[in-house]
Amino acid sequence: MPVSQFIDPKVVRKSGTLTFKDIPLNQYNKTLKDEKENFSKEELLRIYRDMMFIREFETMLLSVRSNKIYNGIEYTYTGPAHLSIGQEAAAVGQAYILEKDDYIFGSHRSHGEIIAKGLSAIQKLSDDQLLEIMKDFFDGAVLKVVEGKQQDKNNVKELAIDFLFYGTMAEIFGRETGFAKGLGNSMHAFFTPFGIYPNNAIVGGSAGVAMGAALYKKVNKKKGICIANIGDASLGCGPVWEAMNMAAMDQFKELWEEEYKGGLPIIFNFFNNQYGMGGQTVGETMAYQILARVGAGINPDQMHAERVDGYNPFAVIDAMKRKKAILEENKGPVLLDVLTYRTIGHSTSDANSYRSKEEIDAWTAEDSIAAYKGELLKEKVATEAEIEEIDKNVKEVITKVFKLAIDDTVSPRMNLVKHPDAIADVMFSNQRIEKMDDRPCEVLMPKEENPRVKKLKNKIRVGIQDGKPVSKLRAYSLRDGIFEAIIDKFYTDPTLIAYGEDNRDWGGAFGVYQGLTESLPYHRFFNAPISEAAIVASAVGYGLCGGRAIVELMYCDFMGRAGDEIFNQLAKWQSMSAGVLKMPIVLRVSVGSKYGAQHSQDWTSLAAHIPGLKIVYPATPYDAKGLMNSALMGTDPVVFFESQKIYDMSEMFHLEGVPEGYYEVPIGEPDIKKDGKDITILSIGPTLYNAMEAAKTLEEKYGLYAEVIDARSIVPFNYEKVLESVKKTGKLLLTSDASERGSHLNDFARNITELAFDDLDAPPVVVGARNWITPAFELEEFFFPQADWIIDAIHEKIMPLKGHVVKNNFTKNEQLRRNRLGV
Amino acid sequence: MATAVKMPQKGLSEESAIIAQWHKKKGDSVKIGDVLFSIETDKSTFDVESEVEGTILEIFYQEGDEVPVLSDVCVIGDKDAQYSPANVSTSDTIQQAEVLHESKEIAKKVVNATDTISNPIDSLDNDKIKISPRAKHLAQKMGIDFSYAAGTGPEGRIIERDIVAMMEKGPFVTSAAKEEYMQSGSENTIGTGIGGKITTSDLQQPVMPEKQPVHSEQSVQDEYEERALNRIRKVIAKNMHHSLSSTAQLTLNTSFDATDILAYRKKLKISMDRLGLHNITINDIILYAVSRTLLNHKELNAHFLDDKMHIFHNVHLGVAVDTERGLMVPTVLNANKKSLNEISGEVKILAEECQKGTINPDMLKGGSFTVTNLGSLGIESFTPVLNPPQTGILGVNTITQNVKEVNGEIVYYPSITLSLTFDHRALDGAPAARFLKELKTNLENFSILLAK
Repeated sequence: MPVSQFIDPKVVRKSGTLTFKDIPLNQYNKTLKDEKENFSKEELLRIYRDMMFIREFETMLLSVRSNKIYNGIEYTYTGPAHLSIGQEAAAVGQAYILEKDDYIFGSHRSHGEIIAKGLSAIQKLSDDQLLEIMKDFFDGAVLKVVEGKQQDKNNVKELAIDFLFYGTMAEIFGRETGFAKGLGNSMHAFFTPFGIYPNNAIVGGSAGVAMGAALYKKVNKKKGICIANIGDASLGCGPVWEAMNMAAMDQFKELWEEEYKGGLPIIFNFFNNQYGMGGQTVGETMAYQILARVGAGINPDQMHAERVDGYNPFAVIDAMKRKKAILEENKGPVLLDVLTYRTIGHSTSDANSYRSKEEIDAWTAEDSIAAYKGELLKEKVATEAEIEEIDKNVKEVITKVFKLAIDDTVSPRMNLVKHPDAIADVMFSNQRIEKMDDRPCEVLMPKEENPRVKKLKNKIRVGIQDGKPVSKLRAYSLRDGIFEAIIDKFYTDPTLIAYGEDNRDWGGAFGVYQGLTESLPYHRFFNAPISEAAIVASAVGYGLCGGRAIVELMYCDFMGRAGDEIFNQLAKWQSMSAGVLKMPIVLRVSVGSKYGAQHSQDWTSLAAHIPGLKIVYPATPYDAKGLMNSALMGTDPVVFFESQKIYDMSEMFHLEGVPEGYYEVPIGEPDIKKDGKDITILSIGPTLYNAMEAAKTLEEKYGLYAEVIDARSIVPFNYEKVLESVKKTGKLLLTSDASERGSHLNDFARNITELAFDDLDAPPVVVGARNWITPAFELEEFFFPQADWIIDAIHEKIMPLKGHVVKNNFTKNEQLRRNRLGV
Repeated sequence: MATAVKMPQKGLSEESAIIAQWHKKKGDSVKIGDVLFSIETDKSTFDVESEVEGTILEIFYQEGDEVPVLSDVCVIGDKDAQYSPANVSTSDTIQQAEVLHESKEIAKKVVNATDTISNPIDSLDNDKIKISPRAKHLAQKMGIDFSYAAGTGPEGRIIERDIVAMMEKGPFVTSAAKEEYMQSGSENTIGTGIGGKITTSDLQQPVMPEKQPVHSEQSVQDEYEERALNRIRKVIAKNMHHSLSSTAQLTLNTSFDATDILAYRKKLKISMDRLGLHNITINDIILYAVSRTLLNHKELNAHFLDDKMHIFHNVHLGVAVDTERGLMVPTVLNANKKSLNEISGEVKILAEECQKGTINPDMLKGGSFTVTNLGSLGIESFTPVLNPPQTGILGVNTITQNVKEVNGEIVYYPSITLSLTFDHRALDGAPAARFLKELKTNLENFSILLAK
């Protein structure tokens, strides 16, 4: 909503018609004869070899998965096998023109793409580059297995081919010598040094992630393009549409600075094999009839969409050359409808009940490899003997690598007996990296001149002065703490970008980013479409390429809209890559109140349930700034919860005031906000203030001194301080704004019960929000925990307080009744 | 409502107790705090008071019956209440009880049919003492019997503050008296229950003039008074007879020059407070010396079990304590590993608990050797009786003045006689004498022993 753009009613209300350009369908009509002059014999045979490699590799998997044997060697493989037999020409044609710096992101059916892109990269990299890559990767652990097993010991490319197949196969078979130590497996194998980025078992999952990688390339002026290899059926997924729209946003043309102008360098490449598992996309589950049509719905360029014959490698190569040029002119994004067909089932359990034998036979008759081979012979590019030699070599390589990959002595599985923490160690990268790149930061003014920074100079950095509360307007607030940490990082890390809904100009719906617009160019700070899935997925792509980003969900309740992106993408790529990838992403999540059932929920527990995410929820300006600094210094995904109830809360605990300079509050360390000896209250987020109010009442009315501990972080969490406190007090009450059922407080309570059982004078008592919808603001006191709930729960469940009259029902019978009813 | 009164558990290892006396009979109405019956365990006697008001509807055990702990002893309820064995919820019973009291078993299970279950949670374990782990831990650490604590936590659970209250307010409180006691907060109340615990009667009737015994003509004329033996006396009688009839015991006497230990004790007494030491007695010093000497004479630190012996690796010293109820022998476990000061402190606590009757019955077991001291009563020599299956017991006598010749001159010195009774089945006279000789040397050169 930039002021510079005027929405003229006279223009937008004008009558007229919208016209579309024609969308080309399979326009390529050359034959090998025509292309012979453009390709050397060697290149033409390599295209054949690469397709054969894919065919043989997939045949091997099909064979061991179905018959437990390949080429006479027995092996039982029980993992997934989503094979792409039939789709070889599409993969090889695409990879043919790609460079190492061009990144591909794939799907569950991407073995072919890995092989094609890998072989292409091997062809284009020098021997020295290849050796360096292979030696560096896991300190040569993968290389070691295949080294010295080539016919020509000095042929680095031959070695690299063995390396590529071995790393991929070992990964698929779950071996520690795989490209992701066996933690990725079949549907997620990849190898970034060759430009092969994560393949994704979530349909369409790569659209947003690849779009984020393209954003990384644009913002950081990196060479290369990005390709999201997804299926035709993924157009049924909202996040794919979100990603295409976001890649084509008007602001790239209209608002971004000159050198950053233009849509993202990405191809949404639909390998259109015409089925989504068993669902026939055309005629049954989708509405587009011709997939390429969809490009016209996204932007005036119609995403340069066209349909390409994926059974003809030359057609794909031709299209790729033209589309890459478009991207290099900053006219992306591109949509390609690469028509193809898989002649075997979705997976080995597929009985092909949804398609006829005639159909399969018809496509098999047009098989791309057979056709291409026929052309080679017809045009006398190669003799039968030469072709046979290639076939023989392909089979030998696959057989050799297969033997190595199933050999437990050279290809062991991760030994979790000997190294019980092998997986635990890759759940987080736990590094401290101040800046992800070393170039100067692009900003619009020196930090000191930023209007918000100047304003903060005059704020009183503590909430109580001379025993009196400082007025809200003059006090440094929690939102100031978050801002200060973030603007500081914008002047330190050149890769840092931030985006979300209404971030720029508006300054964030809750004013956290006020003043940031003045300091930052568009390409570092912009408004995202209302596309939570694309916002988070793109951050994942941005992060795994090596950038740092802060993205925002305006309301916690919108996490559902980005569920896959938070739970399956953000949380998992560090560990699924066995630590190869890092994810320095901060996901700011604002927890609402006053806005009813769909805008006022604390979902910290949902996030905490998913392994791989760090979860923090600060409640004071000091902690907010310190935790944001830690989050932005680290390399792990941090879900940073913020409560709208306390954005304007001033610092009530750190009475020296919030430091102006840089400091960190370590993630995972709770903080004692008030000392006490009689009972411990552990709070998450804004309930700290309810706990403090309750502590005051306990002291004044009942002579009990409560120790109040602010969890600050949820994952990780160091229990030591809490256990020490419970050892002293013997009593524990836990409180947060999350609905009580399934709340993370129950996890805290269970762990503390087990760890301090003998110290406990009563079971830990959880006081969360009711298992209802959040009602209107005026009724919130009946939904969110209040100070008097805490007192009542203590009285009823921990220690009866003399003369106390309860207002809320915390009896066991009520607990049973509510659970019985599920409310 | 009908309530079953259960046989209380007085020690962790206690499995049963004997009903010594019924103070009420079937059909009597009882008030809260009325003594229902008295029970005897191996070493102690306790009164069991009613915690409810009502009529005794049924009595399941008679005087002299041995009753497994936590078994129902009687039922108190409304006079008119109907109950029948058919309406009984089964409860765990101890097999032994089933054998001994088969006929009573059915009646024992009676619980009034009107005792309807209103709260499924409360009814789950309402016969257990509810206590938080923390409170239980504290009670055990402080040696407090938490069954006397007044639970003020949710649903009457005993929580930390209840144990702290017991520690602070001193006298232990019966659960019947807890309400009034907690509310009164009176410092002046003197407990009349066992171990000085306060019963409801103490609270309701602060002064109970002692009844003057009525001397009837008949009683004057009787030549004797017939007194039934209490449980402890019975046990002692049985044990003593068993000891003398089943072992081959004989006693050796020797005396030692006590100059050194008397001087040492005098020195300790001067600096006792400054060093934070207990009041270390001559007996403590002898216990210490025994604990350090015994391990060189293993047959005396042993149990004789007819066809085999248990030779102990550590010294668990039984210390005979004279109490109103009779002789009690609490044990200082692992005395050989404890300092003189630790032994002294522990013996004082154990003796005090024996006097009060609060001793945990578990502490009256497990000795590997016993020391008994009649010195304070002026005894110069005696034959202690073995405490089988232990193989030795050392008697300590009074200090007498003795003479010896030093450089041709007769000098007086303080002398203490030691009387060692041992089981000749376990060892012969010479090894027993060698123990006495080494003990004598150690005591005469006590400062050297301490240095070891």
